[in-house]
Amino acid sequence: MTGLSPGQAVGLVARREFTTQVRSRSFAIGIVISLVIFGIYALIFQFIGSQSSSNTLGVTPAARPVVPALQQAATAVGRTLTITDVSAAEGAAQVQAGDLDALLDRNPGWTVTGRDAVGDELSSLVATVVRQTTLDQALQAAGQNPAAVAEQSRVAVSTLEPEDPERGQRLGLAIITAVLLFMSLIGYGSAVAQGVVEEKSSRVVELLLSTIKPLHLLAGKVLGLGAVGLLQLLILGAIGVVVGSVTGLLTAPTAAAGALVAAVVWYLLGFFLYASVYAAAGSMVSRQEELQSLVAPIMFPLLLPFIFAVSVLPGDPRNTLGTVLSFVPFFAPTLMPVRQALGVAAWWEVLIAAVLTLATIVGVVAVAARIYRNSVLRTGARVSWSEALRG
Amino acid sequence: MLDIGGLAKRFGTRTALQDVTFSVRPGEVFGFVGSNGAGKTTTMRIVLGVLSADSGEVRWKGSAIDADVRRRIGYMPEERGLYPKMRVGEQLAYLARLHAVSAADAAAAVARWTERLGVAERVGDEVQKLSLGNQQRVQLCAALVHDPEILVLDEPFSGLDPSAVEVMSRVLRDKADEGVPVVFSSHQLDLVERLCDRVGIIADGRMVAVGTVAELRSGGGGVHGADHRPVVARLDVVGPPAGWADTVAGVRVVAAEGTHTRVELDGATDQDVLKAAVAAGPVHEFTPYRPPLTELYKDVVSR
Repeated sequence: MTGLSPGQAVGLVARREFTTQVRSRSFAIGIVISLVIFGIYALIFQFIGSQSSSNTLGVTPAARPVVPALQQAATAVGRTLTITDVSAAEGAAQVQAGDLDALLDRNPGWTVTGRDAVGDELSSLVATVVRQTTLDQALQAAGQNPAAVAEQSRVAVSTLEPEDPERGQRLGLAIITAVLLFMSLIGYGSAVAQGVVEEKSSRVVELLLSTIKPLHLLAGKVLGLGAVGLLQLLILGAIGVVVGSVTGLLTAPTAAAGALVAAVVWYLLGFFLYASVYAAAGSMVSRQEELQSLVAPIMFPLLLPFIFAVSVLPGDPRNTLGTVLSFVPFFAPTLMPVRQALGVAAWWEVLIAAVLTLATIVGVVAVAARIYRNSVLRTGARVSWSEALRG
Repeated sequence: MLDIGGLAKRFGTRTALQDVTFSVRPGEVFGFVGSNGAGKTTTMRIVLGVLSADSGEVRWKGSAIDADVRRRIGYMPEERGLYPKMRVGEQLAYLARLHAVSAADAAAAVARWTERLGVAERVGDEVQKLSLGNQQRVQLCAALVHDPEILVLDEPFSGLDPSAVEVMSRVLRDKADEGVPVVFSSHQLDLVERLCDRVGIIADGRMVAVGTVAELRSGGGGVHGADHRPVVARLDVVGPPAGWADTVAGVRVVAAEGTHTRVELDGATDQDVLKAAVAAGPVHEFTPYRPPLTELYKDVVSR
C-alpha cells in the first residue's frame, strides 16, 4: 500500500466537501433565495422610485393659471404630476382623505396644503414655478422680456472629465457586487465553521485525524467549500448578466464583465481570509448552538463595509473614509470591488489593497491553523484562547 | 508485534496514564479492560496519534509508529464518528480513500465488508437513518475497509444485539487469524474471556495485570514486579451433605448449596480437603474452581 501525499489528502477532502455541498438541497435553495432577494430589491427600488417621482395635486380655480407651467416644469425634471381641478373645500377634503398629495390655492397669497406634510420635491417644484410666473409677470409689467432675463441667468453645467455615460449602470453593478460578495463570504464562511463543528460534534474528526493531518483536513475543507461559493457566485453573476442583457437593463457588458472578474478575485481573497477565521472559531466549540456567539463578531467586519458600500459610496464614490477603508484587509474584499465598479479605483490602488490582503491572509491562516490544530480534537467545554493559541 | 512502552500522559493536574506497557502479538486478540476513566481510551488515542503522550512510545515491528503506519491501523473511536448526513457506501469509500486505498479497491472493500457485517442493503442510506446497532456495524466497516495491519477498537461491542456480537466476534477472530494484532476494550468481561487470547487490566492509569486468563488465575500476569499474591485457590466439591467443611481447619466455606460446597484454602492443602470430604460422604466431583475473568478483575483491581 502506498502512502497518501498531502496533495491527495487535501484533494480527497476538498472533493467530498464540494460534492456534498453542491448536491445538498441548501445549494439550490441558496441560489433561488439569492435570485428572489435580488428580484425583490429591484422591485422595491422601482416601486420607491415610481412612488417618489409622481404626485397628485389639486388646483383651485384661483391657482389655475400656473398649471401649464407646472406641467412643463414637472416634465423637465422627469416627474409625473397629475393635476385635478377642485374647489378649495373639495380639495381640502380630498387631501384629508389621501386622494390628493396636496392642494394648491391662491387666496390671495399662494398656499400648498398637505395632510401632515408636503413632499420636498413637490413643494419646491410648485415654489419654483410660482416664483418664476410671478417674476415673469413683474418683468413684463416693468417692460422687460422674461425670456431675455432667463437667458442671462442661465448657468451652464459641465465637468472637467468627460461624463461617464455608464454611471447609472456602474452604480447598479457596484451594489450588486457588494451584495453578492457579502452573501457569499457570510454564507460560505459560516459553512466552513458549521462543517468544522459538524465533524467535531459527530466525532468523525477523530477518525479522520487518525489518517490525515489537521492542516490537510482544514485546507481541503476551505478549498472545497470555497469552490462551491465560487460556483454559486459565477452562476448568479451569469444569470444576472444574461437577464440584464435580455431585458435591456444592462447596456454596459464590458463594465459588467469587469465587475464580475473583480468580484471573483475579491471573493477568493476575502474567502480565504474569512474562512480561516471561521474555521478557527468552529474548532473551538463542540456544538452548533455554541457557534453563534463566537461567529457573531466575525460578521461585523463584513457588515460594516457592506453597509458603507451600498449606502454611502453610490452617492459619494470618492468618500475619503471609504477610500481609506478599501485598503484595510478585512474591509477591502467588499469595498475595493465596489470602488472598482464605480470606476473610482486606479489599478495600483487595487493592487496595493490586494497585496495587503494577501499578506494578511498568510498571517491569519497561520494563526487559524494553530488554533484549529490545538482545538479540533478537544470536546466538551469551549476551548480557551490561551489553550487554542499555545504551541 | 505492537509494543506499547511506558506511556505517560497528564491532563492538567490529573495523571491519566503512568508507565503503561504491554504488547500485542500478530494473530492475537487482546482484551483491554478497566473501569471508566482508567485510561483505556487515552491509551488507544495515543496509539492512533490523535493524542500525544508525554513520554513513552508505541512501536510496530520494532520501529516507532509514524503517519504511514497509522494509516494502516483500523480504528474505532469510543465516541462513534461518522458523517450523519453522508450515505453509508460513499462514507466508507471516502474513509478507505483517505487511508490511501485506490478507488476501485475501496469500492470492492465497501461491498465486501457491508455484506459481511449485514448492512449491504443500507449502503445507499444516510448514516443517520440507520439504527444505532447498524451504525455500529458501519463503524466497524469503517475500521476494516482499508484492510488494516493492526486493529484498535474502543468498545466495539457496546450497544450491539447478540447476533451482531456474534458477527463482530467472528470478524475479529478472523482478522487475528490473518495475522493482525487486534486490541479492543470492553466492559463485557465474559465476552473478553471467551474471545481474547490475552487480557490487559488497567486501573487508575496503570497496567495492573497482563496475560492469558489462565495466567491471571494462577496469579501470574503481574506487571513491573508488583507484589501480586497468587489468586487464592478455591475448590468445588460435590457429594457430601452440606456443612461437612465447616469444621475443617485452614478452610473457609465460600458457598454451599445442597451437596455442592465451594471452599477457599486458608492454610490447608487440597489433599486435606479431599480427605475431610471423603470422610463426610461420597465425593462425586472434586475440582479446582476456575474463577471467571469477572472475579479475577474485581480481585486484581481491588488490590
